[in-house]
Amino acid sequence: MPLNLSQPKRKNAISLTPLIDVVFILLLFFMLTSSFVPWRIVDTPLSVPSADEKPAEEKENIILTLKQNDGQVWVEDRAVNLADQPYFQTFIADYNEGTFVIKAEEGVTLQTLMNLADRLKLNGAENVSIANAFSMPEAQ
Amino acid sequence: MKIGQKYAARAASNDDNMVPLINVVFLMLVFFMVAGQIKKADPIAVIPPNSVNDTRAATDPNVEIVVGAGSVLYVDDELKTVENVQAYLEGAFESSDDKNGFWVQIKADGAIPLEELRPIFNQVRLAGLTKVSLATQLERGHE
Repeated sequence: MPLNLSQPKRKNAISLTPLIDVVFILLLFFMLTSSFVPWRIVDTPLSVPSADEKPAEEKENIILTLKQNDGQVWVEDRAVNLADQPYFQTFIADYNEGTFVIKAEEGVTLQTLMNLADRLKLNGAENVSIANAFSMPEAQ
Repeated sequence: MKIGQKYAARAASNDDNMVPLINVVFLMLVFFMVAGQIKKADPIAVIPPNSVNDTRAATDPNVEIVVGAGSVLYVDDELKTVENVQAYLEGAFESSDDKNGFWVQIKADGAIPLEELRPIFNQVRLAGLTKVSLATQLERGHE
């Protein structure tokens, strides 16, 4: 006697619930591990004293000193506000042959240093050295 | 009406009403997969200084130093004291394949004073390394 093995007709669509489970887990993983911080880098090449290094500096160094986090920088014994745009434009145009060397006293934060370096760069300074701000006081 | 009855019966019987949800979730998934970068989280939360500088690193740093508030120092995700940094850097440089491209990245919080960074830079200098970069983040809405 022939068996009637035909199954009762079932719905063809598969259930979406397991799919959503997996997709939710993937979504959580990507949300938690993604990083959107736009990291950038500033090179601060350190000079290592070596015998074959050129001893003579051909370029003039213009020293800017940060004393506090008050938005002021000392240039040749004169305090200049970082927002003083006309001053920086003429100052940088006058001395752009040389290197702008930034020094910092105790308590000056990294952000203050970067603000000054930004200000110099935005006004067209070509050579800005921030590495001196990180030198140990006795090495300066 | 016949059509209305048909739709009502279907909605009750299967999970067709999940389809818009899945659409949205898929879109979010694609967004996070494409827009986000998967990378190791920093051992401590550090807010890098803002800067207009837009230079991206061409290669991954060989050694990553994370400096948080209060001179907390992590070198390649290990808590270290400043005195041990030189020895670690020398070891890392010796075992590196590409010695010319060897560079150190310093991720420091923008609010920490520079004198806390000076001993670290001094250690890098003592280790004989010259390629050092500070991490910054691109300032939004400035200038």
